[in-house]
Amino acid sequence: MISTEVLSGETLPPQEAAACGENPDLGRNKVDVKDLDFFYGDFQALKKINFSLARQEVSALIGPSGCGKSTFIRILNRMNDLIPSCRVRGSVLLDGEDIYGDMDVTELRTRVGMVFQKPNPFNMSIFDNVAYGKRMQGLRSRRKLEELVEKSLTRAALWGEVKDRLKKPALSLSGGQQQRLCIARSIAMEPEIILMDEPTSALDPIATGKIEELIGELKMDYSIILVTHAMHQAARVSGKTAFFLLGELIEYNDTKTLFTNPEDKRTEDYISGRFG
Amino acid sequence: MENKRIIFSEALERVRHDILAMSSLVEEGLGKALSALQNNDKELAKTVREGDAVVNTMQLTIEDAAVILIATQQPVARDLREIFTILKITVNLERAGDHAVHLAKTAIKLSGKASFRAMGRLERMVKTGQQMIRACISAYLKQDAEAARQAAAMDDIIDGEHKKLSEEMLRLMKKRPELLKKALRFLHTSGDLERMGDHITNICEAIIYMIESRHEELNE
Repeated sequence: MISTEVLSGETLPPQEAAACGENPDLGRNKVDVKDLDFFYGDFQALKKINFSLARQEVSALIGPSGCGKSTFIRILNRMNDLIPSCRVRGSVLLDGEDIYGDMDVTELRTRVGMVFQKPNPFNMSIFDNVAYGKRMQGLRSRRKLEELVEKSLTRAALWGEVKDRLKKPALSLSGGQQQRLCIARSIAMEPEIILMDEPTSALDPIATGKIEELIGELKMDYSIILVTHAMHQAARVSGKTAFFLLGELIEYNDTKTLFTNPEDKRTEDYISGRFG
Repeated sequence: MENKRIIFSEALERVRHDILAMSSLVEEGLGKALSALQNNDKELAKTVREGDAVVNTMQLTIEDAAVILIATQQPVARDLREIFTILKITVNLERAGDHAVHLAKTAIKLSGKASFRAMGRLERMVKTGQQMIRACISAYLKQDAEAARQAAAMDDIIDGEHKKLSEEMLRLMKKRPELLKKALRFLHTSGDLERMGDHITNICEAIIYMIESRHEELNE
């Protein structure tokens, strides 16, 4: 059972802690991954991964192509379920609840949003892109949808640029704007975690800078996991960095430590560019 | 295929070579200044300043190369620590070079022979300083933290000589006030050489930081 530390040093189960006025989430990780193995058929893509993500924290995942970092974040909202023959062993806890247990996958994907490498707005208006998810959930009130769209676009630092053309096609936006629109679409679902899989690799440095600033803003409200090949992006925006290699999590450390004094020689070789 | 970062490694190797050359020039300047002082050779003393101008230029050249490496190669971890160590080595070597110039100025200003004992102490300080420079740059090139600690330990010899020379000069000033000016000059020169030892100690501390990623205070 997950318990919550209280000031006295004693531990109480979350329900009792809540009854005593304690925040049951206090001190608890948002995500806890324990001894996770993942297989595509016979191929083991991830080996004994132990990972945790605190609330309001940005964790960056780095590592060479094929090391398992994208596979790992796809596990966190069960996107790999769509691939036949994939198999998961170990546990992935979201707020202490096993996401591969009884949790409804639609609910999971509402709580864990995803932004992909290439901006993928739907072929509809800017407004409809952001409103899409909540409409699907049955929200019909025009006023509430307008509020949602404005709030989400503002949060994604895009409102000022698009507020006068919400009816225009989303595909008319620039690449950087499209990516922020995808972030707004994700935010509109009021997720708790946002997974970002190389969200700036298709963007120019200005658009990249905006997304990075946005990540800094978003972490006030969300926990974020960012997969990136840009080592300095990991160094700039994350509090913790995980280095994956050949399906193993080699080192998960404070970003400052990992980039100045990594504990594992393989991490040092990789971040110094002496690995291949 | 293993990636060894050849462009970065080769550029770093050139900078290391330049640091060795810069340190040799500082060492040479100290030797010349000492010789000028011992032999009352004002012409030789003047050449120390010329050598120091080259040292100053080398400092800037090496620092420019280090800044370019940061900007273009984005070093991290140990590589980044080495770049910062390079910047600390150059700034402290440059200061050591300035102390050679101060020593040479003393040689120019000093009229007549200095006392044998005082000269002996200055000689020991300078020669120890030269050994420290050689040892610490060797420790840098070999990436040897223990050798850097041993190099810094030699600073005790310089400090000891400075302390004894200061006491002797104070006694001399009291006993023979007509030698006050000369004694003061020796006192200042000795103080300069003592600080030179501190600069080389700073280099040793930077080398330990580069290798072990921790700040260690040497010769507290």
